[in-house]
Amino acid sequence: MLIFIAKRVLGLGMILLALSVLVFLLVKTAPGDPIRIMLGETASAEQVAHLTRLYGLDRPLPEQYLLWLKQALQGDLGVSVRRQLPVADLIAERMGATIELGLASLLLSILLGVPLGVIAAVKRNTWLDAGTMVLALIGVAAPSFWVGLLLLSTIGLSVDWVPIFGRGPAFGPALLELVRGDARPLIDSLRYLLLPALALGTSMIAVITRITRSSMLEVLGADFVRTARAKGVRPTMVVVGHALRNSLMPVVTVIGVQFGALLGGAIVIENVFAWPGVGRLIVQAITQRDFPLVQGSVLMLGAVFVIANLLVDLSYGLLDPRIRHE
Amino acid sequence: MRRLVIALTALLALSLAAAQTQLNIALQAEAGTLDPRIALSVYDNQLIDTMMEPLVMFGYDLALEPRLATSWTVSDDGLTYTFELREGVLFHDGTTFGSEDVKATFDWMLDRNNPATYIDLYADIVEVTAVDERTVSFTLGEQNAFFLNSIARLQIIPSERVDDPSFATNPVGTGPFRFVERVSDDRTVVEAFDDYWGGRAKVDRVVFRPITEDATRLLALEAGEIDLFQGQINGIDLARLEQDDRFVVSRTAGTGNIYLGFQHASEGLKDVRVRQAFAHLLNREAIVDRVLLGVGLPGVSMISPNTEWFNENVQRFPYDPERARELLAEAGYAPGELSLRLYTDENPVRAQIAEIVQFEAAQIGVNVDVTVEEFGAFWDRIIQTDDFDLYLAGWTGNVDPNYAMYNLYKSDGANNFNNYSNPRVDELLVKGLRVEPFSDEQFAIYDEAQELIVADLPGSYIYYIEETGVFRANVEGWRTHPYASSTFKNLHLVEKK
Repeated sequence: MLIFIAKRVLGLGMILLALSVLVFLLVKTAPGDPIRIMLGETASAEQVAHLTRLYGLDRPLPEQYLLWLKQALQGDLGVSVRRQLPVADLIAERMGATIELGLASLLLSILLGVPLGVIAAVKRNTWLDAGTMVLALIGVAAPSFWVGLLLLSTIGLSVDWVPIFGRGPAFGPALLELVRGDARPLIDSLRYLLLPALALGTSMIAVITRITRSSMLEVLGADFVRTARAKGVRPTMVVVGHALRNSLMPVVTVIGVQFGALLGGAIVIENVFAWPGVGRLIVQAITQRDFPLVQGSVLMLGAVFVIANLLVDLSYGLLDPRIRHE
Repeated sequence: MRRLVIALTALLALSLAAAQTQLNIALQAEAGTLDPRIALSVYDNQLIDTMMEPLVMFGYDLALEPRLATSWTVSDDGLTYTFELREGVLFHDGTTFGSEDVKATFDWMLDRNNPATYIDLYADIVEVTAVDERTVSFTLGEQNAFFLNSIARLQIIPSERVDDPSFATNPVGTGPFRFVERVSDDRTVVEAFDDYWGGRAKVDRVVFRPITEDATRLLALEAGEIDLFQGQINGIDLARLEQDDRFVVSRTAGTGNIYLGFQHASEGLKDVRVRQAFAHLLNREAIVDRVLLGVGLPGVSMISPNTEWFNENVQRFPYDPERARELLAEAGYAPGELSLRLYTDENPVRAQIAEIVQFEAAQIGVNVDVTVEEFGAFWDRIIQTDDFDLYLAGWTGNVDPNYAMYNLYKSDGANNFNNYSNPRVDELLVKGLRVEPFSDEQFAIYDEAQELIVADLPGSYIYYIEETGVFRANVEGWRTHPYASSTFKNLHLVEKK
């Protein structure tokens, strides 16, 4: 087990290194000079040259990369060219917000998607099944920003306690406050999370619903389920205790894969809801050719994605004892 | 009983605290920095203006008003500017403002080892001298009749903080509001500075919230989470807000314009008649109406019509496809013979205008190939190469004719992207800087420059940018500023009822 994890961590290191080279090449060779973009079209060539020289952007590319790598290995992700602030600080300030949004969305998707999928499977070929599938189709087809704006202009405007934009208190600390007896921060945190998480999770809910349904249908037709029914096990127990547990593997796999898409979708949702996450930061950094910031952000997200998939792989062991004993 | 007393006390305390007025202002984008010396964008300056002040500032008519300087004189040779500084001005940290702060701020800008942005504005300065506590003088290497406009663009910081690398995270100034906190991409909070020389601000607290999505910003305004916003507002939304009693819309012509540029080194555009043809193909009124949805003014020249510099006697090019057809024929091109490439960046308005130009050109038999390029790539092409024929671009911040013309249209201008050259224009642009500011002579110089440039057609001006703003009806004392960077300079006069 430990060897398994160790191998994956080593793999993570290799992936990040390769990613760093790729990002460097992409950002540096793309047309568009970061200083020129920063200063705008009204700046003179002299002005551009002045800052280019000061920020070391006139040095040969390999030298720039190795300089970055050397700093990075020492834990220093450099300074944003545009904002002149440490990259690590800029990302750390916002990473929590994005992960919070991603996890909330994921949780919501699972809490809504799995039961819907189970219902659809059990009530197969009824209007309930068809209705759920149509909803799922809409969920996958509707662009998340459209869903977001729709939620804002309907629920956001009519319900007073649902805010239009921004983020409330961070969830973790708010939970602690609850333990200490003050529920207000947690309520605020959830109030602000509701619509963005819903908008971000729409397509994921749809995907999970469909996967759960297909997986359940497969399992419901299996011999051991028939045996359980024959034994006289209560129908609910058959569905939840036996069938569902065995159909979760594909669902978990999809969640792992979809998590990447979720992180990507966060960029759009963060924009719509003015959610102060890392997604917006990355988009700005790319448009501004702010290499240190792009590099730091991509590596951070890459690490999050790889770790998420590692957790998914580890969870197979939890779900399926047969894998655990391999 | 005791519980009741505690509850009532709490309620009282809460209501007293709630008596503090707070103004919530939406920003179109997050400010990159709060350090005026490395400020880049309009949003940086909007925030900085609430906390720090320059010696002079642009009024609503773009004339300069005293701020930290109460008066100024210029030497006869035009090379020395002497400012009398305001008395009794305090920084937020309690220290007194004086000439050494002005000198320190500008010296930092002039030091080539510092990453100051927009050093061009101050390139003429040879030396800054703190004559005495209340007097500071600037010595220039060359005459610059518009030097004061450059002074207006730099806010003064305390001399003790000039070498502090963390100034941007904890800025201090003389402005009506002091910095409280900043959560990146979420909010910047400032509160009224009690000892402000201009009188304490009428609101206690201002919170700036960056909201990049246009629709969300307006929804936030409607929901009451935002009180005020200056920036881009869609024409349809603007019309709706103008009808709504809950809000007040404030609009004014701005300091920028969007133009169709012509590469003078391109074979197909060398003949002025071809360029004139294109100028006659631009239906400016229709573009403002349908593409901009009414937010903008039809273009005439590089000078905004709401300034005293505007010369209305320049050549006009009304929309006239027939005339365009004639001109093309006169230039010797039969329909189908001429093919040109048009480049623009991803701005959706410009992308639409590009298609319109393509369509109109096709009607008179000119083939225009449109390429929409990503912002960075587009400017790389325009600035570094001559590999384009037509292009759509803008030029903003035109607070004076020199800024609007010199770098763009002088033969060796730092931003002359299209090989335009007119020796007489060069002469005029240099002379304009050397004569008495706002004299008849100067007006005559820039009048002539406008006439020549508009007729030469380095570009044809499509529309003037209009600045738009909206605020809740219970907010008083604010209006949109033509120079967007200066829009919050008088925020201390704003009241929320």
